[in-house]
Amino acid sequence: MENNQQESFLQFHLDYDGGNTLKEAVRWSRFCAIVFIVLLSLFVLTLLFVGSTIFAAISQFMPSLAGLAGTGAAILIVACLIGFGIAGVLVYMLYRFSTLTRKGIEHQDQAAFSEGMRSLKNYFLISGIIAVLSLLLNFVNISKLF
Amino acid sequence: MDNFFTVAFDENTRRHIRTAAQWARIVALCSFISYAISLVVVFFGRRETVEFGGYTTTSSRAGSAIGALITTVIGVIINYFLYRFADSTVKGMDAQDSIKSNDGFNNLRIYFKVYGILIIICLSLCVLGGIFLAIGAGLSR
Repeated sequence: MENNQQESFLQFHLDYDGGNTLKEAVRWSRFCAIVFIVLLSLFVLTLLFVGSTIFAAISQFMPSLAGLAGTGAAILIVACLIGFGIAGVLVYMLYRFSTLTRKGIEHQDQAAFSEGMRSLKNYFLISGIIAVLSLLLNFVNISKLF
Repeated sequence: MDNFFTVAFDENTRRHIRTAAQWARIVALCSFISYAISLVVVFFGRRETVEFGGYTTTSSRAGSAIGALITTVIGVIINYFLYRFADSTVKGMDAQDSIKSNDGFNNLRIYFKVYGILIIICLSLCVLGGIFLAIGAGLSR
């Protein structure tokens, strides 16, 4: 037991400054996550209730889309669902990071702190994959130069 | 003060933080390259002609350039802090150096703070736009 205590004492710990800084980072990330959750919910509700009206209005202005009729709508719905799914997971990870890290620091809960950091890792992992894909899309944009 | 000393960066937590920082670095680098590419496309690319509802519009180069410049400046500032978070945190976790890792967390704090402030500004602009639209619609009746 003494050995365990000594090992714990020798471990690399979160100090006072680091704790305060992380707590403020967590506060802002929580704010961002909550705003994104509200915005995503509003978008989903809008699509559910007036989605067909929006699609009809777009089709009026873009006859090529209207020509696709059912297929166009299906593609649009699937794309929206995939987009909302990815955004939902991303925002959930950010929210989990903020709540678990805060809990870990305030209640001295090592497991919650570690889970919070795991959520941060997942958040940046998904963001990284999206960033790489958008970079590839941007390379396609370069073709506009030629 | 000694409250914080019970939360440790054990092997598992350090691994999570290191991976998070490595992916954050990828995000920042990809963003820097993306902004550079979009600037090149805006300044040297062909002007696009868009057909919409029977109308044909050609995008203005000045308008696109201003938009791209503003987006790039804001994006580079945000991602600079993300890059610094990644750099300092990886160094701090590897060397078990609390000064470096605190510096990394401070940059993460600034990154989320700038993001939050930008969200507040965007939402305020949207609300203002909505109010002006409503007033305009009321006056035109």
